[in-house]
Amino acid sequence: MIFSIARKEFRDAWRDGRFRVAAVVVLALLGVSIYLAYQQVDRIQHEREEAAHNERHAWLEQGQKNSHSAAHYGVYVFKPVAPLGIFDRGLEPFLGTSLFLEAHKQNAATGLPAQDATAMRRFGELTAATAMQMLAPLVIVLLTFGALSGERQSGTLRQLLSLGVTPRQVVFGKAVGLGAALLVLFVPVLVVGGIALSKLSGSEAWGGGSWDGGWSRFVWIGVAYSLYLLAVLAISLTVSAISSTPRTALAILLGLWAVNTLLAPRLASDYARAQEPTPSLAEFEADRDEELTKKGLYGHHPHGEWVTKLRDETVAEFPDRRKAQAVFQGRLMLALEERQAAVWGKHSANLWDKMEAQDRNVTWAGFASPLLGLRSASMILSGTDFSHHRHFMEEAERHRLKFVHVLNQYMIDNPDKAAGHGAVAGKELWEKLPQFQYEPPSNDDALSAATSGLTVLGFWAIAACVLLVLAAPRLKPM
Amino acid sequence: MSWNIFLLELRLLARDKSAWVLLVLFAGTVSYGISNGKAAGVRVSDAGEGARDAVTKSHNNIKQALRKRAENSGGQQAAYPSDYVASRGFSAVMPPAPIPALAVGQSDLSPPSEVVSIFGSSKPAENRAEIENPSHLLSGSFDLAFVLIWLFPLFLLGLTYDLMAGDRETGTLRIALAQGISPFGWMLRRSIARSLPLVIVACLAVLIAWSSSEAEVAFARAAFAIGVVVAYSLFWIALSMAVNTVAKGAASAATALGSAWVLFVLVAPTLLNVAVEATYPTPSRAELVAAARQEALVVEKKARDVANSFYESHPELAPKNRRGMIFSQRLIREQEVFEAVSPTIEKFDSQVEEQQATVAKWRFISPAIAAHEALTDLAGTGYWRYRAFREQVEGYEKAITDHFHDKVHRGDGFTLNDYPLVPQFQFEEPDNDEWTSRAGVGIAGILGLAVVFGLWALVGLRSSRMGRLSA
Repeated sequence: MIFSIARKEFRDAWRDGRFRVAAVVVLALLGVSIYLAYQQVDRIQHEREEAAHNERHAWLEQGQKNSHSAAHYGVYVFKPVAPLGIFDRGLEPFLGTSLFLEAHKQNAATGLPAQDATAMRRFGELTAATAMQMLAPLVIVLLTFGALSGERQSGTLRQLLSLGVTPRQVVFGKAVGLGAALLVLFVPVLVVGGIALSKLSGSEAWGGGSWDGGWSRFVWIGVAYSLYLLAVLAISLTVSAISSTPRTALAILLGLWAVNTLLAPRLASDYARAQEPTPSLAEFEADRDEELTKKGLYGHHPHGEWVTKLRDETVAEFPDRRKAQAVFQGRLMLALEERQAAVWGKHSANLWDKMEAQDRNVTWAGFASPLLGLRSASMILSGTDFSHHRHFMEEAERHRLKFVHVLNQYMIDNPDKAAGHGAVAGKELWEKLPQFQYEPPSNDDALSAATSGLTVLGFWAIAACVLLVLAAPRLKPM
Repeated sequence: MSWNIFLLELRLLARDKSAWVLLVLFAGTVSYGISNGKAAGVRVSDAGEGARDAVTKSHNNIKQALRKRAENSGGQQAAYPSDYVASRGFSAVMPPAPIPALAVGQSDLSPPSEVVSIFGSSKPAENRAEIENPSHLLSGSFDLAFVLIWLFPLFLLGLTYDLMAGDRETGTLRIALAQGISPFGWMLRRSIARSLPLVIVACLAVLIAWSSSEAEVAFARAAFAIGVVVAYSLFWIALSMAVNTVAKGAASAATALGSAWVLFVLVAPTLLNVAVEATYPTPSRAELVAAARQEALVVEKKARDVANSFYESHPELAPKNRRGMIFSQRLIREQEVFEAVSPTIEKFDSQVEEQQATVAKWRFISPAIAAHEALTDLAGTGYWRYRAFREQVEGYEKAITDHFHDKVHRGDGFTLNDYPLVPQFQFEEPDNDEWTSRAGVGIAGILGLAVVFGLWALVGLRSSRMGRLSA
C-alpha cells in the first residue's frame, strides 16, 4: 500500500504546475551557478598559477644583493582555489587571496574579492550551495504543505482511511513518493557537479594529485545535503499532517523557512560575536605593536639584554672585528626574526582562535536551525571555510620562517662575502629556496572538522523523522 | 462609506490575534535591528578613533624625543630625518556615518581609516580590510535595513495576502460587492488598513535610528529614508492587490506572493550581481601583484649599489650622509613602480565604477535592490560615501607626498616646528544634492513599480470583470 501511495504521490508531484515551475527555476539556477562557478574557478586557478610562476621568475632574477635584503624583497604566495568551490564558494569572497612573505612581518592576506565588488554581493552569491540551502527547502514546502492537510480539507483523507489504509501508511507513502520526486530533481545536479569537478581535478592548483581523494569530500557533501533535505521534508510533512488547513501549514512552513534561512545565520553570528568578541583592526595592530615595542622588537631597532649578550658572545668568538660584526648582524636578524615571529604568531593565533570559536558556536547553534550545521559542513568539505584559510596562512608562515631563516643564516655562514653589512648572494642561493607548494588539509582532517556540522544534520534528520513517525497516527479526517 | 471600510478593517485587525503576533514580532525585529546597527556604528567609530590614536601616539613619541633632545642640548632645536617622520604615516579617518543604526552597509568590510605615508605605494594590492569574522560577513548583518528590506515585505504579505481571495472562497465577496462598493477602492482601503500598523512601526524605526545618531544629522536624511520605506511598502501592497485579483484562493495568493518575494529579494539581486560582474569584470588581484613585482624587478635591477639595497631595509645602520640618498632613491623607485601599475589600478576602479553604474541603472528590476541602495546611501554606509572617502584619501596621499617629497630628497631634518605645517585630513561629506538626487530617483522608481502593479490591480478589478471576480 505504501508503494501505491508513493507512486501516486510521485506522479501527482510532477503533474503539479507549481512544483514543475519551481523545479525548472531551481534547476536553471543550479545549472547556471555551477556553470559560472566552473568558469570562475578555472580562470582564477590559471591566473594564480601564472602569477605564482611570474613571482618565481622575479625572485630568481632579482640579481645580486644582500641575503637579508632579499628577505625584505620577499615573495608573494597565492592561495589556490578549492575545486569544490564550484559548488560552495563559502567564505572565499571575504578572504584574502594573496599574501606577501617578508622579513620581520606576518602580513595579512589581501585582495578580498568582496572589496572589488559592489554592495550587491551582500545580497548573497548565486552558487549551487545557496540554491540548495535556501531555495530547495522552498520547493519542498511548496510540494508538501498541502500533501496531508489538503487531503484532510478536501475530504479525500476520510475516503482513504475508510478503505482500511492506516494513517502511517498514508504518511510514509507520501514521504517516499515526494522524496523520490525530489531525488529525480536533484540527482542531475550532482551528476553535472561531478562532471565539472572531474574536469578541474587534473589541475595542480590545489595540492596537485592529492585531489584524487577529494571525491570522498564530494560524497560527504552529498550526504550532508541529503540529511538536510530529508529533515526539511520530514518536518514539512509533519506540519502538513498536524495543520487543520493547507493555509495554516503553508504559513507555518514559510515562517520556519524564514527563521532557518534568514534569521538564524544572523542571530547565530551575533550570539557568537557576543561570546567571543574580536578586536577592531586598529586595536589588534595597537596591541601587537605595543608588545613588540615593550619587548624591544619593533621594526629594526631591537634592544634588550639579549642583544648585548649576543654581541658580546660574537665578539668573543671572532677576534676579527669585521667578521664579528658581519656574523653578529646575521645572528641578530635570526634571533630577532624568531622573537618577532613569536609575537606576530601569538596575536594572529589569538585572533584566529576567536574566529574559530565563533564558527564553532554558530555550528552548534545549528541544533536550533539545521542550515547552520549544513553551512558549516558544506564549507569545510568544500575547502572554503575559515579553517582551510587558516591552514593556508599557517603553512605560508612556516614557509616564510624557513625562507627568512635560510637568508639570515647565509649572512652568518658567509661573513667573508659581507659588503658593508651582511653577505651578498646571487641566483645560486635564490634557487636553493623552494617555491611555496601548498598542501591543503587532508580529506580525513576535513571530514573530522565537518563532524560537528554533520552531527547537527544527523540530529535534525533523525529528530524530524521521529516527529513524523509520532505525528502519523494523529492524522485524522476533519 | 470609504472611512467605514477602512475603520472596519482596522477594528477587525485589532481583534485578530495573529495580526498582533505579527506586529509584536515585527516591532521586536525592528528593535533588535536598530540596536545591532547602533552597536556596529559604535564599533566603526571606535575603530576609526583607535587608528587615529595609534598614529598620534607614534608621532607623540617622536615629539617627546625631540623635546628631550632639545632639553639635553640646552634648548637648541632638535630634528629627526624627514623620511623617518613621514614613514610613520598620518591618519585619514572617516567620521561616523550620519545614521549608522539604519544600515551597516560596507562598514563591516571597509575600514574607516587609512594610514597615509609617502612610502609603500609600490604594493598597491595591499588594500586593508576591517577585522570581522568572514562567516559573519557571509551571513550579513541583522540591522534595520535587513529588517526593512528582507523581513518587512514578509510581514506585509502575511497581513495582505488574503485581501480578496479568501472572501471569494467563502462567498463574502459577492455580498460585499452587492453593496455597490468600488472593488478597487474596497481592496485599497482594506490593504492600507491592514498594512498601516506595520508601516507606522517601520517609519518610527527610521526616526528612532535617526535620533540615535551621535552626530547632528539633517532631518532630510530621515525624511528620505521614510520615503523609501513608504514607497517600498506601497510596492508590496500593490503587488499583493494585483495577485489577489487573479489568485483562485488564499493559498494560491500566498504561494504566488511568496514566490514573488523570493524572485525580488533573493534571486534578482544575485542575478544582477552575476550580470554586472560578468559584463565589467575587475582584473585579478594576482595580475596586479604580478605587474607590480615585474616592474619592481626592472627598477631594482637599475639600482647601482647593492649596499644601497640593504641600507634601504636597515637605514638606521647607514652612515648619516647616505641616508638622504637612500630614501631619495627608494622614493623614486616606488613612484616608478606605482606609475607602471597605475593603469591596472585605474582599471580596477573604473570597472567597479561601471559595475556600480550598471547596478544604479538596473536597480529597478527589484525594489529590494533600489531600497537597499537608497537606505545604505542615506545611512552613509553605502558605496558612495566610501568612494568619496577613498578619493579624498588619494588626495591626502598626494598632499602628504607633495609636502615631504623635497624634504626627503634633500635629506632635511624635521623639527617640532614642522609638525603644524603637515597637511591634516579632513573628510568632507558629499554634497547633499548628490544623495538627495540618488535617493529621490530611488523613491520615484519604487513608486513607479508600485503604480504598475496598482494599475494591474485596477484593471483586474474593473466592473466588467466583477462577475468573474465574485464567482
